Amino acid sequence: MEKIITMMGPMLDGVYVTLQMFFITLVLSLPLGLLLSLARISKYKPISFLVETYIWLMRGTPLMLQLLFVYYALPLVPYIGIKLPDFSAAILAFVLNYAAYFAEIFRGGIQSIERGQYEAGKVLGMTYVQTMRRIILPQVLKRVVPPISNETITLVKDTSLIYVLAMNDLLRTARTIVQREFDMTPFVIAAVFYLAMTLVLTWVFNKLEERYAAYDE
Amino acid sequence: MNMLRLNNIHKKFNHLEVLKGISLEVSQGEVVAIIGPSGSGKSTLLRCLNRLEVIDQGTIEIEGEILATEDTEGKCQYVSEQKAREICFKMGMVFQQFNLFPHMTVIDNIIEAPMLVKGIKKDIIIPEAEELLKKVGLFEKKDSYPSRLSGGQKQRVAIARALAMKPDIMLFDEPTSALDPELTGEVLKAMRQLALEHMTMIVVTHEMAFAREVAQRVIFMDNGDIVEEGTPEQIFNNPQQPRTQAFLKSML
Ligand SMILES: Nc1ncnc2c1ncn2[C@@H]1O[C@H](COP(=O)(O)OP(=O)(O)OP(=O)(O)O)[C@@H](O)[C@H]1O
Ligand SMILES: [Mg+2]
Repeated sequence: MEKIITMMGPMLDGVYVTLQMFFITLVLSLPLGLLLSLARISKYKPISFLVETYIWLMRGTPLMLQLLFVYYALPLVPYIGIKLPDFSAAILAFVLNYAAYFAEIFRGGIQSIERGQYEAGKVLGMTYVQTMRRIILPQVLKRVVPPISNETITLVKDTSLIYVLAMNDLLRTARTIVQREFDMTPFVIAAVFYLAMTLVLTWVFNKLEERYAAYDE
Repeated sequence: MNMLRLNNIHKKFNHLEVLKGISLEVSQGEVVAIIGPSGSGKSTLLRCLNRLEVIDQGTIEIEGEILATEDTEGKCQYVSEQKAREICFKMGMVFQQFNLFPHMTVIDNIIEAPMLVKGIKKDIIIPEAEELLKKVGLFEKKDSYPSRLSGGQKQRVAIARALAMKPDIMLFDEPTSALDPELTGEVLKAMRQLALEHMTMIVVTHEMAFAREVAQRVIFMDNGDIVEEGTPEQIFNNPQQPRTQAFLKSML
């Protein structure tokens, strides 16, 4: 028991790093994903093509590779190359990657809204932006809650990838202790934490779905 | 007064010419019914009026204001987006599929556009919206979501929503075609009421009885053309064109 308590100190530090990664990535990548999805459906072909290529790159290569690239290779790029501290590099890679996934989810949601909704907005005198903001996007939000929920739960677990940058997140901390003390308890604690986090998220998303259930389609 | 003037409207979808030079004038307070077989271009014609479709050729004038016209080279030119929007929201439109906003209650469906587009304050528009709901007999449904309404109720809300923008012209595209037969009556009643109030109306419909009773003028379209037009009396009792005769016979 005493042993567990002494483990908890570093473990909690690890939890803190994991939570930070999770929340910052989520808060930045959701709006960025929405913007990308709007650009992706834009009438301006060069813009939509650019975003399409971006999404293809981000979804077509492993997140781990992107993480390594941002940390090790980005500083070598002429002119724009900067050496980011490990935490910033990790956030950048995660945000860029998750925004691409979220963009595809939002795009699917937007394209699932019937043309009649746009037309109703238009004949009532609304601009495209007004129609998007007041009519289309609120309905999209309802439809994307389940896939966003999935992606978010995946993100909780993906945060453990940052061990490659030697950052002491929850999982790496656990492993360090296990290797030092030959005691598997830290793994169990880590598992419990990830499960708890997933449970909380599931609950939050269920609440969201309930709120949106006020109207059905 | 002329509410609407179309001159020589042409509209193509890819290579299919759907409107082949339609000209039409509608005066204030007039109720015009458009009838014709499926695919004849009735919906497309209505949709060209409020720029849901863009015409290829011709002139559209709404209440004396030009929406689209031809330049010296005969190419069709629309006025600016801003101007077009102002011209078009003088026309309300009711769709076959209602197109209510499912995420808003009935009352919010109605007040959304006046508040957003015209900047009308909520405490001013709410009583107006309630008045409109009473008029279509749905006041007690004001806080319901559209999914809780029957088709006939949805369509009456859609009519109230269009009226809340205080349009001068109302366009109806087969407003009762998606309804169970026993629900068409309540919608037609609301439309009849509007006609009695001298709303200018253009109604695409398969309800021949309604066209005969309410319209002052009936237009028969076929294959992208206006084949024949006249009073309901003339069209229904004494059609001149063989195509009109054949269509009316098929509708019996
Ligand atoms: N967006 C579109 N793209 C391509 N073709 C279209 C489009 N909209 C309509 N059409 C075609 O144009 C023709 C006229 O269609 P329209 O909907 O105006 O007919 P309608 O008279 O309203 O028929 P209905 O009584 O079935 O509603 C049809 O052949 C239709 O297939
Ligand atoms: Mg039609």
